[in-house]
Amino acid sequence: MENTINLGIDLGTTNSAIAKFVKGEVIIFSNPQDYGRNTLPSVVSFKKDKITVGNKAKEFLEKDPKSVVGVFKRKMGTSESFKIKSINESKTPIELSAQVLKELKTFVNTGDTLDAVVITIPASFDTIQSNATKEAGIQAGFKQVVLLQEPIAASLAYANMKKEREMKDGQWLVYDLGGGTFDVALIKIKEGEMKVLDHEGDNFLGGADFDNMIVEKFVIPKICEKYSFSNLEDEMKSATGKFNAKYYVLLRRAEEAKITLSSKTSAEIVIDGFEDEEGNEVDMEIVITRSEFNELIKPNIDGTIEMIKKIITRNSLKPVDVQFTLMVGGSTYIPYVRSRVEEVLQIPANCEIDPTTAVAIGAAYYAATKPKEISKGDNNKKKTSISIKVSYNKASKEKEELFAARITGDVTGLSYRILREDGGYDSGIKKLGDRINEDLPLVDGAYNFFTLAVYDDQNNLIETDIEPIGINSCFVISGQPIPEDICLEVDDYDNPGKTRLKLVFQKNSILPLRSQGISFPLNKGMIKGNDDDFIYINVLEGSHLALPEANKGIGFMEIRGTQIKRDIAKGSDIEITISISESRDLTISAYLNMADQEFKQPFNPKERHTPIEFLKEQVEDLSDKLELEIQEATDKEDYETAGALNKLKKEMETVSEETENLTSDDVTDKRYQLEDKKRKIAQEIDSATKNKRIQQVKAHYFEVKEECLKMLDENGNDHERKTYNDIVAQEDAFFATNSPLKIQEKSDEMHSILSRIRWRTPDFLTSIFQWCKNNQTRMNDQTQAKSLIDAGNFAIESQNWERLSEINSGLLNLMPKDAEKEATRIGFGL
Amino acid sequence: MKEIKKITIKVPQAYLDFMNQIFEIEKKSTNLKEENSIQRNLNKMKGILEEEFFKGSSTIGLTYHNPIGENYSDTRTDCEATIAGTEVENLEIIEVIKPIIFYAYQENEKVIKVIVQPAVVIVQSKNITL
Repeated sequence: MENTINLGIDLGTTNSAIAKFVKGEVIIFSNPQDYGRNTLPSVVSFKKDKITVGNKAKEFLEKDPKSVVGVFKRKMGTSESFKIKSINESKTPIELSAQVLKELKTFVNTGDTLDAVVITIPASFDTIQSNATKEAGIQAGFKQVVLLQEPIAASLAYANMKKEREMKDGQWLVYDLGGGTFDVALIKIKEGEMKVLDHEGDNFLGGADFDNMIVEKFVIPKICEKYSFSNLEDEMKSATGKFNAKYYVLLRRAEEAKITLSSKTSAEIVIDGFEDEEGNEVDMEIVITRSEFNELIKPNIDGTIEMIKKIITRNSLKPVDVQFTLMVGGSTYIPYVRSRVEEVLQIPANCEIDPTTAVAIGAAYYAATKPKEISKGDNNKKKTSISIKVSYNKASKEKEELFAARITGDVTGLSYRILREDGGYDSGIKKLGDRINEDLPLVDGAYNFFTLAVYDDQNNLIETDIEPIGINSCFVISGQPIPEDICLEVDDYDNPGKTRLKLVFQKNSILPLRSQGISFPLNKGMIKGNDDDFIYINVLEGSHLALPEANKGIGFMEIRGTQIKRDIAKGSDIEITISISESRDLTISAYLNMADQEFKQPFNPKERHTPIEFLKEQVEDLSDKLELEIQEATDKEDYETAGALNKLKKEMETVSEETENLTSDDVTDKRYQLEDKKRKIAQEIDSATKNKRIQQVKAHYFEVKEECLKMLDENGNDHERKTYNDIVAQEDAFFATNSPLKIQEKSDEMHSILSRIRWRTPDFLTSIFQWCKNNQTRMNDQTQAKSLIDAGNFAIESQNWERLSEINSGLLNLMPKDAEKEATRIGFGL
Repeated sequence: MKEIKKITIKVPQAYLDFMNQIFEIEKKSTNLKEENSIQRNLNKMKGILEEEFFKGSSTIGLTYHNPIGENYSDTRTDCEATIAGTEVENLEIIEVIKPIIFYAYQENEKVIKVIVQPAVVIVQSKNITL
């Protein structure tokens, strides 16, 4: 057990925070429900079955004052209590503060027992108010509560940041301007003892007022200058006004602008989305400069300065007697606040500490010096013997899923809370009974995790046997997989004039499927109105490693020159999207970027779409291919392959003849039969010649491998060696696939290792540089080219190879597109 | 009780700003009366952020969700709301200033999404019509 308290809490009027001293450092615990923010709004909301503290409660504060309470710190130590309509009970400021403290306890994720704490109080708190704060701490389950004044806490944070535990004798001011309150205190340190000499404050001044001023005094008049409104301000500010929702949008935008103005000299506020009284759409962007903003808040800031002046006068001080003004509270981020206070008072403003967390940090430092006075006997964790049985669907595509649990054991005084792991759902803290029934909202397309936590009446976590709740919303379990790959036929740039398959959906992917747009540059242009210009889009079913001719066509779309709005240039992009519904309806959509035109066609797989013209073309190609393969095999004296191919020749001839005889309006099934036959022949050509292609790609692979090994020995690093070894280790596996494409893929991977190494070797870099120099005339910016070449010559002289590599990249960038390929081929064989 | 590993992911603000801009454009494009194909480019940009940007790592990408028209209650910690009007029951999201941004990654073949930006919304009761 720790011997010192270590835990510090800033129990603020508007915001609270919790920090802990651990091994010489202070950790601020972030609000787990508020995306890493360090503070918790000091607002409590009550509903019949639950209590909510913080941001969610704050949202309802203004509109539901009968169930939500804030700024109760101002009433600490009074007999006043808040009547809560939703639960038909009254709550004292002490009870409300205890709720905030209990919520802060849930921020602590270190698993420590939280039994002792330092809580900060304003310098203005009297004995009764101080005791009330102490009582709130006890009600929240702390056994030992030590109080500390806020300005002293801030000063301690500063002293510790400066690593000056013992501060020199003197005095300074703590200027605390937060979201809704302002306090200033004069602090004096004498012989190591720090105390508050005097203080002033305004309970109704803070950052929120500045947002309001931007909207009321700046934005609304600007809107009225340009548009017709008879009473815009009232329509916005009244809860029943027509533009009340817009008012809150503007407040948000004003707040953003205010924050921007802390780092920039101007900010924009966009106003749009509604109409004026004459039906004109409001759409404007107002620029607010830092000086305009400063002008707006000047009266308020000067008001705070007047309070400081009072303190200085009351204590018969001169500005030179005050060392500095320590700036605390989020609103002191505003540069004008800092500069104005400094300018008027002639006392340096000190902005060295984080203004939002300084008080909690100081409290934790103080806590580290205070011994714990709790006996070990008091410190036993509360044990319960409850058991929780849960029931819920582990997979769901619904927006919400019912979670049910049954609790056995003594639940008296216990409560529970369910949180979604991504931070998007919080059930709030609810009373635990013998059953839990909650609709848990799910994020679509993800694995949703929830935690169910059980707390005792002081929000201490109770250990239970429950596992995290996991609901998969990624896919429907009963989804159907596709039996074959779905591919798109695309140009094969390595073999001009030929095509290959691009995998769109892999076999066994679950329906429904939708591809991201696949973009390609067009290999030919199209003239508007020309019926001879066309683009084919062919979607096939079957292994993506096979030849296109061997697969089954399931969707075919053509775009003709007569359909386009304007001429399309070669090289402009076409973007193809393919989707397949659960009932297997295929939709191809193609978008021509240059024409900004979309073509969409659904295909019902029952109706095969085989245009005769396209079929004829395919049959002709296949026939040529067959001839070529036979010739090649004969030349190589591979009589086995030539024999196998010759057998196909007759069949091919029949198909060619029959296809040729088809009329373009043939209505019989003939075209489909011929297509099937063609496919079969293609498959047989594929398998007869596969050996040849495999041999070719294997030979290429070994060539690259050898070169790669050589380079690795000379210049490779560990990472490249590992990548190389990984590929080599897979050799058996990818050779066994007997797929030329797979083997080619591995050659490419090997080749990229090779390229990486080469780009570090002086010989290669020098030769590339030399090549670039020789081709300087092809570069598009001669001035830049010349300066890069000069720099390159110098880099070679000084043997700065890294620099030369950068220069080469720069030079290649000045060249036409394929220059890099061209350059890297020079003298390197591969 | 088995604790879930708390995931804290810090996505650079520039990425979030970028997503917010795409969201703004999308919002504006839906208001355009003339026929246009802006949505196509937006979908493409969203697709790149969702599937292409982080290729090769366990990160899948960034997506956003526009909760306009959805119900709102205080259990929704994925939104920061301001309530317009006088009623607080039966709330609906009527205006979205910033969308919910998710960061998705893969762990043990499970897609996990984490909210990296809660939505900023204005809500109003369905019980009243202004």
